Amino acid sequence: MLDATGIEIKKALMTISLEEALLEIGRPVLDEVAYSLYVNYQCFIPDCLDHPEYLKQVLQELYGDGCSNIIKSIHKHLDGFASMQEIEEFLLAISPITIHSYQPR
Amino acid sequence: MQNNLQHSNLKKFLSITIAATGLVLLIANLFGKDTASIISLTLYIPVTVSLVVVSIIISKRFGFKGDHGKAWILFLIFAILWFIAERISLYYNLTLGEELFPSEADAFWLAGYPFLFVFTIFYIKPMKGMITKKIIFVALAISIIVLTSTLYITYDQNIGTNLLEFSTAIAYPIADAIILVPAIIGMMLFLGGRVNFLWSLMCIAIIFETIADTGYLFAALDDTYYQGHAVDVLFIWYYVIFTFGVYHHITIFKDHRKDPYKNIEDLR
Repeated sequence: MLDATGIEIKKALMTISLEEALLEIGRPVLDEVAYSLYVNYQCFIPDCLDHPEYLKQVLQELYGDGCSNIIKSIHKHLDGFASMQEIEEFLLAISPITIHSYQPR
Repeated sequence: MQNNLQHSNLKKFLSITIAATGLVLLIANLFGKDTASIISLTLYIPVTVSLVVVSIIISKRFGFKGDHGKAWILFLIFAILWFIAERISLYYNLTLGEELFPSEADAFWLAGYPFLFVFTIFYIKPMKGMITKKIIFVALAISIIVLTSTLYITYDQNIGTNLLEFSTAIAYPIADAIILVPAIIGMMLFLGGRVNFLWSLMCIAIIFETIADTGYLFAALDDTYYQGHAVDVLFIWYYVIFTFGVYHHITIFKDHRKDPYKNIEDLR
């Protein structure tokens, strides 16, 4: 059996949080976000841990200013894991204030 | 890129539809009230059917789960209630040769408003944290201006008219003003987003509806209203604009199972 690495676990945590936040709105919203990430950035949801700016951009294009509350919801889901460095960086990067200054690793 | 092109084509098609329906009803009026009545009744059929059809498609896509799923079910109920109201109105026009006011149709139209209101609430619910006092204030202010203008204009009409007729007629602009509040909030909330198109159209449609309802109030109370009257074009536009708004939403939240990437489950 393969062991999941730390980064894979963090990606899974982030994916579950994002899915939960979007499923609260509706399944087609999750599908559209996943599809836009794939079409525009050739990226899957777990990859957003490394590229939070893609996720932020897709949500912004879909819901405009209203996406900030979806981001808040993701924050709420991930707050318990904010002590993990990658998760903390992800949360900082998608937060509306820091998105413009964030540089991906 | 493809989204922008699709959006631009949709806007063009909406403008053409609005211009065409307006022109058709205008020309029909030139041929007399009977022609205007037939054309108007005919136009109501495709526009109301289209709204129900797009509402069924979007409701089916979202299902019952999630806030937007519930919202679209409520919108479908609203569309069906208004569809029934239009058919009752058509029935009275065909059998009696005139529109009764108030009639059972008004009960269905008025019953549709709470569902439309709750639809807007459920839709903006996931973004409620972003609704600031400023947004609420602007929405309330616009709605109050619209409502007081309507009430001020219609105040004199109250004298010497049937109370039931007047209260039914005045209920429409009041309901429109109430619906306008969450519609403006939604439009401001989703500014810059693709879903904003629906909310912008919704605001325009509700303003058209308010003007139409006020016009209808005047015409109905002084017995000058006939099927195919100038206010009918605004009612028809209301359905057209809503239909395009919902259709645009269908194009945003497509069923991607048929799209280039083979298996959506791979993305999760």
